[in-house]
Amino acid sequence: MRFRAKIVDLACLNHFSRVINTIAKLAKTCALRLTVSKLYFILSDKVANGGVSMWCELCQGNFFDEFQMEGVAAEHNEIYLELVPENLSRALKTAQNAKAVKIKLTNKHCPCLRVAVELPSLSSSSRMVTHDIPVGVIPRRLWNDFREPSVPDFDVSIYLPVLKTMKSVVERMKNLSNSIVIEANLSGEMNLKIETDLVSVTTHFKDLGNPPWASEDGCQSSTQSRDLESMAEARIDIRKLLQLLAGQQVNPTKALCNIVSKRIVHFILLHEDVSLQYFIPALA
Amino acid sequence: HAIARISDEFSFDPIEKGLALRSVNSSRSAYAYVFFSSMFFQHYCWTAVSQPCQKEKQLSLPCKLIIKSVLPVFRCVNVLERNVEKCSICTNINDHHITFQLLCKYGVVKTYNLTCQECDPLQAVFAKHMCPNILKVHPRLLADIMIHFPTSQEEVTLSVTPMKVCFKSYTEEDTDFSKTMLTEIQLNPDEFDYFQVGVDSEVTFCLKELRGLLAFSEATSVPVSIHFDVSGKPIAFSIEDMVLEASFILATLSDVEKETWASGNTTTTFNCNAGNICRWQVYFTRRHCKDFKVAKALEITNLQILHHVVSYFCKCCIFQFHSLFFGAVSCKEQDAISHTFHSLATASDTEEDFGNVNCGAISSFRKKFNCSSSS
Repeated sequence: MRFRAKIVDLACLNHFSRVINTIAKLAKTCALRLTVSKLYFILSDKVANGGVSMWCELCQGNFFDEFQMEGVAAEHNEIYLELVPENLSRALKTAQNAKAVKIKLTNKHCPCLRVAVELPSLSSSSRMVTHDIPVGVIPRRLWNDFREPSVPDFDVSIYLPVLKTMKSVVERMKNLSNSIVIEANLSGEMNLKIETDLVSVTTHFKDLGNPPWASEDGCQSSTQSRDLESMAEARIDIRKLLQLLAGQQVNPTKALCNIVSKRIVHFILLHEDVSLQYFIPALA
Repeated sequence: HAIARISDEFSFDPIEKGLALRSVNSSRSAYAYVFFSSMFFQHYCWTAVSQPCQKEKQLSLPCKLIIKSVLPVFRCVNVLERNVEKCSICTNINDHHITFQLLCKYGVVKTYNLTCQECDPLQAVFAKHMCPNILKVHPRLLADIMIHFPTSQEEVTLSVTPMKVCFKSYTEEDTDFSKTMLTEIQLNPDEFDYFQVGVDSEVTFCLKELRGLLAFSEATSVPVSIHFDVSGKPIAFSIEDMVLEASFILATLSDVEKETWASGNTTTTFNCNAGNICRWQVYFTRRHCKDFKVAKALEITNLQILHHVVSYFCKCCIFQFHSLFFGAVSCKEQDAISHTFHSLATASDTEEDFGNVNCGAISSFRKKFNCSSSS
């Protein structure tokens, strides 16, 4: 098992750091899956996470100048590691004007991702900062836990409003209630509702647009026959929603959510070279 | 704010030449000293006070203040800079009061009357000029180095050879590497304004306590000098310019394996006593005894040469902090320094001599090292 990668371009480094920062806000611990062409940050839907799950996919070519990976075995040319993304975020935080950042899988006292940052300095030779981030190697028998989640059979799919606006609305609602209802219909309308004994607050968004989903068998029967005005809704934990919204540092190219009435809300945030899927189950 | 990182209280000691502030932490392993010369102030007026009970004229009026009560006076530096036109400090020893007055814009005057207590400030006796290793560095560089460590990082190891300088997270034998993120910064000697390494050494000190000085020195932009020796001996971070000087002296971890002077069954203790200059000496000796290492500390904590003996047995705690040498602040400051190693030595090999166990000191050591000990 070998892994070495290098980032030289500052813009790429910056972009990569921002992705890691977002992941760090969403998960305390997650799996990092390395393949020849991609990196995945995966959080599987265990009870400990409150049932949320996350799938984040990056094309290594868009970030790394050098990327060499040798998996556990020839037929399974992949590496699965368990790590604390906050550590990686911290290591990259002070590397923002680095000459180069190298990441390597090592095993000194225990398996580690060694992040070596070469910083410019006043003297002739550079300053080297090394961070050893402990990781756990996930054995092959557990790889099935980290499969890509399938898009659920949703009732409504709708584009999200401007995330900054949505975040500030949800932030204020968080002070009043622990759960929030997201409802949307196929006419581009979405409502965020909270209800307590004393007060209920609803924020209405309209003209959001509904993404067209080309289905495999040619017809998405559940949505096509659906009444355009009818709302699909799910009540979810407001803090999980806020974690997702607050972690976004850059506006995504596309942001949408799929609602399975009373079951789950599936968020998809797409940037040029990163895709992030986040599932929040509905509360009982 | 810098001193607040060290301790909850500090001594406020105006003397003829200027104002000295001193603070020592509870385990006597960190000492802060800041001296503002009279020229730092727009107006500095100091009068000697003689008291009939003293044999000689008492020239200094040291008193002790609680940091929590002083911090609110100087709370937001930015706000202070914008609003305060003058700050005046007056001491009233008879009433045990120090008055801080902030004369702000628009005629607003904020007056803070703080109670103080008389005290005998401790002063660390540390011969900087005898240190083989001296580094001098711009505070910006030091801040740029320390920023790579998490704010929760307690201890940091500085390792030097004539060829390179390295700051790294402190680890010991039983560190759980699978849970800890380790950071290491390597620098070239060229980056330092002055670089002298007389002896290769690796010293570990408390970063948290240093951060106060880092912030202070960055504000003044005065280069920071680092004086140190081998592990176990204190490390001093100091800044000095025309109107002020500041020193933070921190104890460093003593690496048992590397120690050459204490081995076998011999332990030596020193008792010091020289008239009305008294010394506090805390140091550790070891005795290897079968399968555990025993550390003993002799601590003299009182002007009246009251010996408090702390002895504790610690199986898990292999490393102990060497504490600093302290001397009373008196007009005979020069003597204090030259008497650093003067001793009326009494060699002692037995435990019978260490009768009184100071429970307070034990508990503060326990807290510091988080290890269980039997008394």
